[in-house]
Amino acid sequence: MNASTAIGPRRRWRSPRYLLALPSIVWYATFFALPIAFVVAYSFGVKDSSRRIPVDFSAPSWASYSAVFDETFFVTFRGTLRIAVLATAICVLIGLPVAYYAAFKASEKWRAVILAAVVVPSFTSFLIRTVAWRIPLAPNGTLSKWLIDLGAVGEDGIQILATPTAVQIAIVYNYLGFMILPLFVALDRIDVRMREASKDLGAGRVATFFGVTVPLAGPGIAAGVLLTFIPMCGDYVVAVVLGGAKGNMIGAMIASQFSGAQNWPLGAAMAVLMIVAVLLSLVVGALAVWVVPRLARLATPVSERVRRAIADRARREAEVRRARPAPTAARTTGDPLGPWLAGWTALVLLFLFVPILLVILHSFNATTSFTIWSGRVSTKWWGELFDGPGVVALLVRGALIVAAALLVRRVLVRRTQMPARALGWLGIVGFVLAVVVNGALTEWFRTVFDFPSVGDAIRNSFMAATGATVLAVMLGGTSGVALARRPGVWTKPFMLVVFLILVTPEIMDAIALATWFPRLSEVPVVGYVFANGWGPFNGGMNKLWVGQSLYASAVVTLIVRARLSGLDESLEEAAADLGAPPARAFRQITLPLVAPALVAGGLLSFALCLDNAVISTLISEAGSTTFPVALLGATKSTIKPFWGVGAVMLFVITLAALWFVARVLRRSGDSAGQIAATLAGS
Amino acid sequence: MARTTKQLRILAPHSFREHLSRRAFLRAGTATAGLVVVAAAGGGSDDSSGGESGGGEASGDYSRVINTATGTLAMYTWGDYNDPELVGALAESELGVSMKVDYYASNEDLITKLATSGGASGFDIVVPTGPYIPQMIEKGLLQKFDKSLIPNMSNVDANYLGQAWDPGNEYSVCKNWGTTGYFYDSTKFSKELATWQDFLDACMGEGSGNCSMLDTAPNMCGVWFWANGYSWNTEDPAALDACETFLVDDFAQHVKAFDSYPSTAFAEGAYSIGMAWNGDARQAYTRIADAGGNPDDWKWVLGAPATELWMDNYCIPVGAPNPEAAHAWINWDLVPEISIKDLSYHGYHTGMKDMPTLISELAPDLERGDMIFFGDDQVKTMETQVITPTLDRLIDIFNKMKAKAGA
Repeated sequence: MNASTAIGPRRRWRSPRYLLALPSIVWYATFFALPIAFVVAYSFGVKDSSRRIPVDFSAPSWASYSAVFDETFFVTFRGTLRIAVLATAICVLIGLPVAYYAAFKASEKWRAVILAAVVVPSFTSFLIRTVAWRIPLAPNGTLSKWLIDLGAVGEDGIQILATPTAVQIAIVYNYLGFMILPLFVALDRIDVRMREASKDLGAGRVATFFGVTVPLAGPGIAAGVLLTFIPMCGDYVVAVVLGGAKGNMIGAMIASQFSGAQNWPLGAAMAVLMIVAVLLSLVVGALAVWVVPRLARLATPVSERVRRAIADRARREAEVRRARPAPTAARTTGDPLGPWLAGWTALVLLFLFVPILLVILHSFNATTSFTIWSGRVSTKWWGELFDGPGVVALLVRGALIVAAALLVRRVLVRRTQMPARALGWLGIVGFVLAVVVNGALTEWFRTVFDFPSVGDAIRNSFMAATGATVLAVMLGGTSGVALARRPGVWTKPFMLVVFLILVTPEIMDAIALATWFPRLSEVPVVGYVFANGWGPFNGGMNKLWVGQSLYASAVVTLIVRARLSGLDESLEEAAADLGAPPARAFRQITLPLVAPALVAGGLLSFALCLDNAVISTLISEAGSTTFPVALLGATKSTIKPFWGVGAVMLFVITLAALWFVARVLRRSGDSAGQIAATLAGS
Repeated sequence: MARTTKQLRILAPHSFREHLSRRAFLRAGTATAGLVVVAAAGGGSDDSSGGESGGGEASGDYSRVINTATGTLAMYTWGDYNDPELVGALAESELGVSMKVDYYASNEDLITKLATSGGASGFDIVVPTGPYIPQMIEKGLLQKFDKSLIPNMSNVDANYLGQAWDPGNEYSVCKNWGTTGYFYDSTKFSKELATWQDFLDACMGEGSGNCSMLDTAPNMCGVWFWANGYSWNTEDPAALDACETFLVDDFAQHVKAFDSYPSTAFAEGAYSIGMAWNGDARQAYTRIADAGGNPDDWKWVLGAPATELWMDNYCIPVGAPNPEAAHAWINWDLVPEISIKDLSYHGYHTGMKDMPTLISELAPDLERGDMIFFGDDQVKTMETQVITPTLDRLIDIFNKMKAKAGA
């Protein structure tokens, strides 16, 4: 007390500019920078299998780095780069017409449908969707047999499975959504008048597209490229599931050094070099983006002359036509491109949903392997997974509670004058209560399953993704606001860390965190949480929250920052001028402004966390195995059809949760359009 | 009484091991077998509840002690490696424990997981392959059994106890064992294949670009060693160099995939020939029929002239939250009826003594038994892996080969 009064003349304490980002700074320092620093240090050690952490530090050296510089690493890295660059380019080519159609041609209603259809597939398990690609690609599969009968392919059937083509298809499929959304948002922001003006000035369709639309959509394309290219470079699940010998990717190679070969120094050195290489290729890409328009401008006089010649000819033709009496009704109002674009969009959406439909179909499979279709529909695996009476009891319990809540609301509406807004929450409260009573947080729910591991996995996935998303939204929200509104010297280093989080291969994070938590367990309080857990959440669950929150919070940070830097600051300044204290201005002005970005980032985080397999595999504990972790373990042997059943369950529950979020949001007044518009954060 | 019989059970095979080396014979010499039977009879009448002569019980002297436990039991094992009923409903009703089962894909994955978590992985039972057990003990990852809680260990055939990696079975007991061979679609090859050399030739000939290899370095290199008359544990630098030259320069380009569990992919038609564990190849027959193919077109070949014998073992990791339940489960899975139920599911030899009688009484309908049970002459050609510093070299060869195959 005395200390504070002793300062003398009371000076208003000015918060440092990074104050809002402070939680993220502490978080990233504790759970990213420090643990990763250890792994980077491992790269200078020597392999020693007899230790728990199999690295000998007694003679630090660059040996691992020189070991990386052999053919093996670069051959694989080149293959990975080829797949990632090609897949990114294909994503742009496939996605651009869809985004264009959604932004300019589709009606308001269809736009929402298209965007939803692009997002929804990412809420089914990434792994099971990848595995599902084995079904149409199998040489002995139904599709292959049809094509053989049609004579479209040779006697041996489709020869795609276990080739780089299979990896290419599945990677394009898995990341297409992350390309379409930013493209859409960028295109949607383009003022229609710009395009009209371009046409009025005599530019044709093509000239308008390349001269106006593409340059304006540039930032969106850049965001899409970053969101797809970087994770593609580190991806290894797709290669493991579909790749075969020729589809090996660098992520898999690094993972095999850490795990299979127990050679952490080499794995760490590879990971460090991979980060450098990915950053370098991004720089090269950025240079190309910078150079091409300038080259194009050099070519302008030429194109200008060509265009003028075309315009002259058109004018002359028009004069000739005017000389003759023309049929007046000939001019069509419809856009000849419209149907083509609509058709393309429909095809792309079909492409996005085919694997999901296959997952649903194959969950009704009678054979012992998920990917091999028995030829008839059977509920065998649904029956094996669930205990019938248990399911009925659960559904009845849930329905009763929701019905009771609705009944109470009805009574309250009739008898009291409670505001409708408050009453509206009753249904939601009932829903939550139904979930909790049915044992979402306890062991009760296990009675529903005959094979409880799948049930555990679904429950744990949900808990982990929810907790990590809450963390990611809080961390990313605050640091995003700070980045956009209180920039300073701290901004650049902070952005570098955020970028590093996005680029670091997952297996490196996984090793870093897995070896970090035992070290932390000696720290009071914090260590206790990770060693013993708290409440209904065990230590593994707490670790999962931390591990999954890293990448997700980096994504949220970028989205929130993008959203705010797109909005001018005058509202907040006005609030300050009117005497609102910073906290109040934040609550009443800034928060509503970023809300759509938080929701959008939250949705994206949830999808990412739900699919997290590599980090989760290494840091989860016995009681906290998530669905992707369990499935990744099963992928190496045979995937039983009940994993398909589990994936369908997870999908249904996720959709129900999304519906629930949408209900809550509607009550708090966010429009779906706004959310979609910030979803990709460009 | 119980204590002495236990020592007899453990010591007898251990002393015999000196003569028999690591190689396991399917049937023990009469002296050993007699000793174990006597020992089991002594222990059995004391411990087992005795009155369980219900339907489906095998004849012969077996210990059938079932200890119950409480709480949850977390097992970390290979994918699809236990009858789901045993790790689900039956564990609940018979033992009183509710089970959580997670899967890993390699011994190294298991070790990484246990080592990084610093004893807090939360697992009660793990299932490492034999040769990895010494380093796990060295790293302090495994705890000793309380053998008084596993009396049913007496049901295990003496030949599968007292292995080199854990002579006293203090940390581990055989879960099941298997071997390696290959599997091919006979319609795609003009000649019958019988040895590893045939396999290599076929992969480089008619099967080029359509063959799969197990995704582990020792096995991959092992094929060349076995085909060329070396032990797969050889540390001879000349042999290693020759192996590298062949695999990387001549062989890699013909490989389509590195796949440790190819049974589903065989049925999908992804490969026409591939290395496989015996149990996985056995399951491939079912999958091929499911996919509308003709199982009779496909042939299983046990690797020759030599091949591996691997044994996966139940162990209890340090820091296991519920060791009591872990012991109870391991002991329960060694009851012959339970063991055969598990065997019928995964198709690997569980090491029970007097297996032929057990199978004829408990699972007479078991198909393709020749892929589960092997004759003495076959077992004689099998060798277990020994982990030496050479493993690093093998992994290096393997990585070079993978890079070459992917180029």
